Amino acid sequence: MPQSCGGRSLNTFNILLTLLLLIRVLSYPVPEGKSGQQTVEALQKQIEVLGATVSSNFTVDCETYGTYQQTSQPQHINILHNSEQPATCFAVLDSGNCLVADLQFDALMNKIKMFYIQKKNARVEAKGLRYEYGDFIIKVGSVVLGQSTSFKGVIVEVEYMPAVVVSECFGLMREFMFSFMPTSVIDATTNHWKTKNDAIYAPQDTVLQYLEHFNNFRKSAVSMMPPMQ
Amino acid sequence: MQREEKQMDATIDALIQRVGEIKTTIAQFIMKLEHEYTTMTWPNVLDNFALISGQINTLNRFLKNDKTPALRNHILLPLVLAPEPDLELEKLTESRVRAFNHEVVPDYLRTKPEPDIEEKYGSVTSRSTSLSTDNLQKQVNTLNKVSANLIEMVNSTREQWESDITKTAALPQTTSQADTQKLVSAVSFGKSLKPRRPEPVGLPGPMNHMPQQNMPMNQGMSPGHGQPHGPPGGYNHMYQGHMGMNMNPQMKMQSSMKGNIKSGGHNHPYGRP
Amino acid sequence: MRSNPVPLQEYLLQGSILEEHGDVLLNRLNGLCDPVETGPEKFYDHELVYTLRDPVPPPVVFRVRQAVEHPEAPWHLRFLGQPDVADKSRHTLVRSCIDVGCSSNVADFLFEMGFRLDHEYTVKGYLFRKGRMKVTVSKIFRVVQSGNPEHAEPLTKSYLVELSVVAPQGQDQIQDDMKGFAEHLKPLVMLEKIDHRRLQQM
Repeated sequence: MPQSCGGRSLNTFNILLTLLLLIRVLSYPVPEGKSGQQTVEALQKQIEVLGATVSSNFTVDCETYGTYQQTSQPQHINILHNSEQPATCFAVLDSGNCLVADLQFDALMNKIKMFYIQKKNARVEAKGLRYEYGDFIIKVGSVVLGQSTSFKGVIVEVEYMPAVVVSECFGLMREFMFSFMPTSVIDATTNHWKTKNDAIYAPQDTVLQYLEHFNNFRKSAVSMMPPMQ
Repeated sequence: MQREEKQMDATIDALIQRVGEIKTTIAQFIMKLEHEYTTMTWPNVLDNFALISGQINTLNRFLKNDKTPALRNHILLPLVLAPEPDLELEKLTESRVRAFNHEVVPDYLRTKPEPDIEEKYGSVTSRSTSLSTDNLQKQVNTLNKVSANLIEMVNSTREQWESDITKTAALPQTTSQADTQKLVSAVSFGKSLKPRRPEPVGLPGPMNHMPQQNMPMNQGMSPGHGQPHGPPGGYNHMYQGHMGMNMNPQMKMQSSMKGNIKSGGHNHPYGRP
Repeated sequence: MRSNPVPLQEYLLQGSILEEHGDVLLNRLNGLCDPVETGPEKFYDHELVYTLRDPVPPPVVFRVRQAVEHPEAPWHLRFLGQPDVADKSRHTLVRSCIDVGCSSNVADFLFEMGFRLDHEYTVKGYLFRKGRMKVTVSKIFRVVQSGNPEHAEPLTKSYLVELSVVAPQGQDQIQDDMKGFAEHLKPLVMLEKIDHRRLQQM
């Protein structure tokens, strides 16, 4: 049974450290009558005008598991996958504690289904195109919630590869993003970097930002639902 | 008289039958040796031998039986010798004897050893009578002595072998069943690895402090509060140890939270009551 | 992008050898197993066993393992299913098994999920490979001071010897290879299919 830990290599930890800033584009000034898909397309067009080239597709998905209602203290586990780290699974608790693990972690969740049950219709997925432009990677995608494939919002991810600390390149990234997005949107950044502006970037930083946005999308989806009869 | 004849007939019939059985068994064995020698195994050969010797034993027992008339009291004598081939005889002997003539009868009806053997036997007998009794007794004694010595040697060697075997069987005491069980129980369900100290269940003190401690956490605790508040039990030490490895402030924040969870949550899966 | 990994099973034979005969066994394994230029691979791991009990009785057990001398290496999270010992036709113990490499915060993560530390121990020993088979000869230490793997005392004067293969479900023929290999180690070590449940009742 003993597994020599040293013998295992985990593909989770990229050697190339990247810095990444995620901007939610929900407040993007969508002209009257324009659909979400059109908004995405307009953004993509602007990025292409800059000279960026499409490199591939990307997806980030999130499933949520929760404790049974009988337990007085609810706890949730969000399981996220990012196509940028295809063999990795990110598990995030309510506290923000994030476990970076092999993909087999999914199978472990199945073993504790007596304690944590998968929430129905809680699956969130971001899907779109991945662009490369010099040292930048830009991802533009639409967000889909639950069983429905209906459009819930637009998500934009920008990654500046040479840097490892946000505070050192925030200005540069902001300026770059300004070339295809209005400043009002850019400054409404996530809370994620507010606390760890000087920390060294790790892949879970990206995933945690996605989760923050996904949770916001879920909340807005709930508030938009018609009141129960 | 008639009764004796009847018994004689029955005995001879039985003898013929038994000898016939032995003959077929031997024939079968020879067949096997000649045709199946490539596939035949040693145990198989031994089985065949055992069968033959068993049948011979039965025959001997039958001859020694009280009910069997003493065959040596009967005389068998040839009445007619015929040089012509006898078809009936040929059939009976499976073509081994073609005619009951002068050539074969001395061989088949022989009651004495062959002449050269008889001659050797005679010379030995005459030599033994020529020796003195004293001399004979001496030789017998010597022979008995030598035999006794030989038997003793064989016996002692056998004893030594047997003790050697038991010794080598005792030698591979390289494993201990008790240790195996102990080790396997330990790694599979933690037997004798669990902490000796009983787990502090439901300490009243920390429970009372819980609400105050929870408050700052919910509002986003600053890294300064980063040390666990839990009671100084063994487990808490351990977790502090882990946290020490994490350098980034957010992790420390979580550690403080855990301290809280732990302090109240010994009998609850998710920490806080 | 989501894939369902093939369920894996662990085939296991266990035994032990007294300390003073350990070198003989190591020599024999050196000869039998795949050659490694630097000699047998050493390992020194710290295993923490966590259980999740409430609210339903059968506890879920997760095992966390870390290489003590390689703190930078990924941590290892393991789940082992109940072995199916009833099947007499099988030569080895067979149980489902999930191995997950993960980040170093796994202990905290499990604690927050509701898992509690049940027990811990350290393992020091040697690792050999023979094709798909893995042989470990190791000493088990009880951790005296919780959380401090260096402060530990040996459980017995014997080495635990385990022969295992992790393979996708249904590859039962591997058991014959294992049985054959175990024969080579007799009478030095008797590698056997040990019924854990029976031990638990003792």
